[in-house]
Amino acid sequence: MALVQPLASGNVMTNGSATNCSAVPGKAAGAALGCDTAAAQQLSSDTQQAADHKSGAAAAGEAEEAPVEEEVDITINNVVCSFSVRCHLDLRYIAMNGDNVEYRRENGMVTMKLRKPYTTASMWSSGKITCTGLTSEPAAKVAARRVARYLQKRLNYQTRFCNFRVVNVLGTCTMPFAIKIADFSQKYPRLACYEPELHPGVTFRIKEFKATLKVFSTGSITVTAPSVAAVQRAIEHIFPLVNEFRKERTAADLAAVAASRARRYGSRDSSESDLDDDDSDID
Amino acid sequence: MASSSGRKVQQIGCPAHPEAHLIEDYRAGDQICSVCGLVVGDRVIDVGSEWRTFSSDKNAADPSRVGGAENKLLGSSDLSTMIGDARGAASFTADGQSKYQNRRQMSSSDRALTNAFREIALMADRISLPRTIVDRSNNLFKQVHDGRNLKGRSNDAIASACLYISCRQEGVPRTFKEICAVSKISKKEIGRCFKLILKALDTTVDMITTGDFMSRFCANLRLPNYVQRAATYIARRAAKELDIVPGRSPISVAAAAIYMASQASEDKKTQKEIGDIAGVADVTIRQSYKLMLPRAAELFPPDFNFHTPIEDLPEL
Repeated sequence: MALVQPLASGNVMTNGSATNCSAVPGKAAGAALGCDTAAAQQLSSDTQQAADHKSGAAAAGEAEEAPVEEEVDITINNVVCSFSVRCHLDLRYIAMNGDNVEYRRENGMVTMKLRKPYTTASMWSSGKITCTGLTSEPAAKVAARRVARYLQKRLNYQTRFCNFRVVNVLGTCTMPFAIKIADFSQKYPRLACYEPELHPGVTFRIKEFKATLKVFSTGSITVTAPSVAAVQRAIEHIFPLVNEFRKERTAADLAAVAASRARRYGSRDSSESDLDDDDSDID
Repeated sequence: MASSSGRKVQQIGCPAHPEAHLIEDYRAGDQICSVCGLVVGDRVIDVGSEWRTFSSDKNAADPSRVGGAENKLLGSSDLSTMIGDARGAASFTADGQSKYQNRRQMSSSDRALTNAFREIALMADRISLPRTIVDRSNNLFKQVHDGRNLKGRSNDAIASACLYISCRQEGVPRTFKEICAVSKISKKEIGRCFKLILKALDTTVDMITTGDFMSRFCANLRLPNYVQRAATYIARRAAKELDIVPGRSPISVAAAAIYMASQASEDKKTQKEIGDIAGVADVTIRQSYKLMLPRAAELFPPDFNFHTPIEDLPEL
């Protein structure tokens, strides 16, 4: 049974936008960089190379099935964080005098978009701010501080950066095999919910890590969890469960996967199209 | 029967012969002393039935009953009489207003339940569901209502979801779209309530299979029996045994199987017709059909007589 062992150092996962749970020992960092990257930005490339190198070395001890070398990449697509600036914000003033801001009165919030860590910050008049669209936890911290700094510098607010926490992390990962989701969902009736009419994937909840995974028949798995480490642990937890129901991909499936990958990374938009609960198969 | 001598003196007895048996005359309602014939108790109420009822006559109203049977689901505390709607000339006053205006208020929880039961019965009637499903639905609704986890949701949504679940539990699932067609709640909301109810009642339901819908869809399309059997066989082979259509909803696979079977027989149905009946878009049927067509030879049952051979099946 192939098991994905936890990486030695926890912070390896959070560096860079490509997070590799690489099972291939000794793979060069350069080659590893070619793996899935969700966002166009790269944080400084040397930290990333260092990270990949580390992940390759740390994973060298993994036991994989003899001739097949399986690599399971976990890509972090979205990190949502929330913090407070501890002062009341005048939304109208920000809307008039701020750059790159949008004020929606019906929602009662101002959205500001940052370019550098590409993110959207939603601000409420109470001083609570939520940043979405980030690709890693340190980037979230940077973006949050940048927003608070902007409010302090440009708009002269007495801000105090406090209560920063990462609320939600969305990660995706593709198994090298297809999955028989009908049988999988029947084996775990309490944890898994599969309603083909409502959603083409199985919704699997792991209470321990507070993670929700969506498992699709193509082998793609989407995880939402409170932190990047939880995402990794959730994937590791589910790998053996899903491996039991593996189904080797036919040539047509492989072509479809390659096509979707080209489509996805050709454009900048990285969100999975099947994240909504709408029925995409019917209608 | 007669009052025994071991009881207290308050029992009726003949004054002359207190120890004597009393004979009860049911027809006259008397108790008569057996020794001297004195009528001791009169107007003794006969607790036997007023009317004779015969078991053959089920549908006619039972004259021994006063009012309808008690609905165990509604609060059993409520034994009040409700004044119904005004009918006939005598119920209106000279001004034209109805005489009994203030109808007795039901308790609010009962009112919600009654409304929901009425909604469920209405929806079930539109798609001709049997009484067992309606009863099961009512039970589910009552359980959900008592549990109060789904308090914020609209009662109609919960009623529709209960109906959906009870159809599933009885082994004759209806698609969400079919329930949507008879309810005013959106499919999304019904789906959400469905998941919430399953969690609240801590139950699971079986997965839908392609065969569950075959008889209904084929009957609506008026396909002959051998086509229906072939379609059932094809869908089962495609979805379960060969697994050529991974990730496709069983309804789409069923629709594609019906299309394939009908195209191979004399009675050919178009994708649009099948899509209308099944609630599936015709492009969806086309997608599933394209996946199934390459292995059509393995899918058809061995004893199927082809009006149109497999090579001539349309390539859509």
